[in-house]
Amino acid sequence: MTYIVFILSTMFVVGFLGFSSKPSPIYGGVGLIISGGVGCGIVMNFDGSFLGLMVFLIYLGGMMVVFGYTTAMATELYPEVWISNKAVLGGLMVGLVMELVLVFYVLGEVYGDVVTEFSDLGDWVVYDMEDYGFVNSEAVGVSSLYSYGAWLIVVTGWSLFVGVVVIMEITRGG
Amino acid sequence: MALIYMNMTLAFTVSLLGLLMYRSHLMSSLLCLEGMMLSLFVTMAITILNSHLILASMIPIIMLVFAACEAALGLSLLVMVSNTYGVDHVQNLNLLQC
Repeated sequence: MTYIVFILSTMFVVGFLGFSSKPSPIYGGVGLIISGGVGCGIVMNFDGSFLGLMVFLIYLGGMMVVFGYTTAMATELYPEVWISNKAVLGGLMVGLVMELVLVFYVLGEVYGDVVTEFSDLGDWVVYDMEDYGFVNSEAVGVSSLYSYGAWLIVVTGWSLFVGVVVIMEITRGG
Repeated sequence: MALIYMNMTLAFTVSLLGLLMYRSHLMSSLLCLEGMMLSLFVTMAITILNSHLILASMIPIIMLVFAACEAALGLSLLVMVSNTYGVDHVQNLNLLQC
């Protein structure tokens, strides 16, 4: 169970290979959704419950939905799967072989010398020094966005507003 | 260095290569850009959470805001290309012939 984060990060990379080998975009969106879910699991293993749920809600639930229906608008009649094109399949296989070689090399080093080298090559186990009581410290840090990070709120809000105006100008056409 | 950083760097590099070597759809390159943002978010989040930098926990959220801006702009450009040509193939972007 110590290596659950490493296993999840390997699945993360395999999900990335799924859309970086560039099948049709609708299948690439599926790969990105899977990677987003696994990424949420990775962040949650480090006690980041708020940031992990932020990935699901904002990233997958907001941005990926927009990507999904834009893809539905601009797609073709017969979308390509990973096995229907040699270039896509070749890219995916090369990436998978690379990932498996690296994973087995790293695991070989770890299991070869567990007692003396664990602190260098092992995975992270979160070490909690202070007692934060009943409050999740990461939620406290995020909520400080509204107190210490007030200027950040102003800047990001303004840049979002300017972004909306720019997009309306681009899509005006003519 | 922890093992997870190797996989996060690999994920970012794989997405970067996918962005730079496009095939036929502009949408696939935008998806690879989103993948880069996701890998950066996870890397930033686990670094901040493991070092107990509590006040820096807001930085991944700010990064997500700017990634959303960038995704929206890319999608609006794709929508305009799709309005003109019907599909978003990159071979249609051939006005600059030099």
